Amino acid sequence: MTVYRCDDSLESIFTAIYLSYEENRNEEDTCLALDDDPILFAENVQVQPDPARAVKVMRTLERRFGEEDYMTVCMALASTECRKAQAVYRTVVKGLDTRCARGHLFDDLTDHYVMEAFSLARLSNREIGHLKEFLRFQELENGILYAKMGPKCNALTFLMPHFADRLPIENFVIHDSTRNIFGIHPARRQWYLYTGQDGEEPILRFSEEEVQYQELFRHFCRTIAIKERENKTLQRNMLPLRFREYMIEF
Amino acid sequence: MNTKLEYSGNNVSLMEKLGILTDAAKYDVACTSSGVDRKGTGNSIGNCVAAGICHSFSSDGRCISLLKILLTNQCIYDCKYCQNRCSNDIPRAAFTPEEICTLTMEFYRRNYIEGLFLSSGVVRNPSFTMELIFRTINLLRNQYLFNGYIHVKAIPGADPQLIRQTGFLADRMSVNLELPTAEGLRSLAPNKNRKTILTPMRQIQNGILENKNDLVLYRKAPRFVAGGQSTQMIIGATPENDFHILNVAENLYQKFGLKRVFYSAFVNVTGDKALPALPGGPPLLREHRLYQADWLLRFYGFKAEELLDEKRPFFNVMLDPKEDWAVRHLEQFPVEVNTAPMEMLLRVPGIGVKSARRIAAARRCNSLSFADLKKMGVVLKRAVYFITCGGRLMYPVRLDEDYIVRNLTDRNERIRFGTDGMSYRQMSLFDDGSFTGEPKVQELMQTAVGQL
Repeated sequence: MTVYRCDDSLESIFTAIYLSYEENRNEEDTCLALDDDPILFAENVQVQPDPARAVKVMRTLERRFGEEDYMTVCMALASTECRKAQAVYRTVVKGLDTRCARGHLFDDLTDHYVMEAFSLARLSNREIGHLKEFLRFQELENGILYAKMGPKCNALTFLMPHFADRLPIENFVIHDSTRNIFGIHPARRQWYLYTGQDGEEPILRFSEEEVQYQELFRHFCRTIAIKERENKTLQRNMLPLRFREYMIEF
Repeated sequence: MNTKLEYSGNNVSLMEKLGILTDAAKYDVACTSSGVDRKGTGNSIGNCVAAGICHSFSSDGRCISLLKILLTNQCIYDCKYCQNRCSNDIPRAAFTPEEICTLTMEFYRRNYIEGLFLSSGVVRNPSFTMELIFRTINLLRNQYLFNGYIHVKAIPGADPQLIRQTGFLADRMSVNLELPTAEGLRSLAPNKNRKTILTPMRQIQNGILENKNDLVLYRKAPRFVAGGQSTQMIIGATPENDFHILNVAENLYQKFGLKRVFYSAFVNVTGDKALPALPGGPPLLREHRLYQADWLLRFYGFKAEELLDEKRPFFNVMLDPKEDWAVRHLEQFPVEVNTAPMEMLLRVPGIGVKSARRIAAARRCNSLSFADLKKMGVVLKRAVYFITCGGRLMYPVRLDEDYIVRNLTDRNERIRFGTDGMSYRQMSLFDDGSFTGEPKVQELMQTAVGQL
């Protein structure tokens, strides 16, 4: 048994997949692990993330499985679960071995690993969808839009393209407070990520209009509700409480 | 044409205006932002996502996707169900186009909303009102460079040219049918008639068709109402039954090519004597059943006459329309999941469009078991009476209408699933279903020393 010990990043996991092919491993006897739990009689290989190899794997996955399934794989890897690496590894190996057609990587949901990767991706996808809905920007004094969120999965890389396409002429920052990463988008330019230092908290001064627009929107949300139809349970089902901390209307 | 609005109370603050005009628009139900996929342009604000995005949910559980407001709540009409009717004594207000544009842009860039939903009371005459709407969204699109979602109402009776021009700026247009039948409309909305409502609907339908042909020829041709058109009906204000309403909806989908028909449970806001009192609150369950049936028509291949008929004109209160259909057609069940055609899978209660697709894809690779179905998202609680896997039922059930109905509706009769949702066990005298976990160490110790 060979165990590739990776860290929790796309680069590292894709490098491990590359290595397993390079070294011609039998997938039944190979395992990708994110934790350091020892496995009996296993040979440990510490994976050094290698951007060049990771990119090769990314290109292959996208070419062979199509863009949609490639995104699903990435979403599965955005999850916080440790078992994601193994699930994705086996799914990818199965897909490449059976030469499945583009867009059919996740067809065989009876397979344990495929199902696992699929459901991890589904969870992440759902949360990313929620964040696209519930993220709230606040305008700072200098006109920059700032949004804070506390997601479970690593959603930032999926949110940035969406908002960059939507608000190309704005300077905006999305702050993932669980991982302390910032997604920064300068107006009309390419966005990038910035990892904050430990204990570093941005100092925020909001613009004057900001308070007014928040108050206007709060008023709008209160007024649009129909008293006769009140249904707080439905509201809670559709908008889980954990997002409300970051939303200005609650 | 002079488009300056003259009315009393124009000096109210923006906050008050927003309150008045949101309150006036809240009974309109069409708050979706779906149907259009449009990338950002790079120098304007906004894009559109085909699935639509709901940005918040109000305390009634309805989504807030668009900034849903009226241009003005002044209205020359006197429809008995509408709180903006001219004989109603309520505060009146009107937005200026600039106010609407600023609000939309500022809300949009903060990610509060997905776009604008603009409707209006009828000021002076329909064409004048339509022109006001057109000017507002023209300003929003071309001066403020807003590229997000816009839904506008086409005012029945307005100049067709104005409706056409507006259609090239909007993503979705809607004409409200208001009430399902012409008689209902005559009795409650004396200023409206069926013909003037259907004329713009037909015009928009033809416009969309024409535009499709243009787009084949010229890829860059401007798009006309790219998100399709919708309409809404008030449920429970007039005595139509569900069968009538569903037939009207089916006709609208087939003959007018509508994207959506919305149903709005009637809320009595005017207290007019021609309207029903509804002491039990708005008919929400009826509205819910109609939406369920609407989905069956659009995505599951059902027809209106399959779900209801003249003899049974109302939906079952206890069962959803699909369960109701299934228990009345037990001769077509059980369905073998591994071989059944897609159309039949879609008709099984508990299997939705997504799980049906997953089943169809997965059974090409392997034969499916009940555990697989469960993981794929099939609701076994409902589906279990109607499906077999590899020729076997999950556990012995009788294919008997009374038995299944009793099991589907009665909480006590329902089959008890174990905690994993898969295993089924017989109830015993000492079982209450909640004793599932292993006893904790502490509990064992307490038992040993006789404290428990």
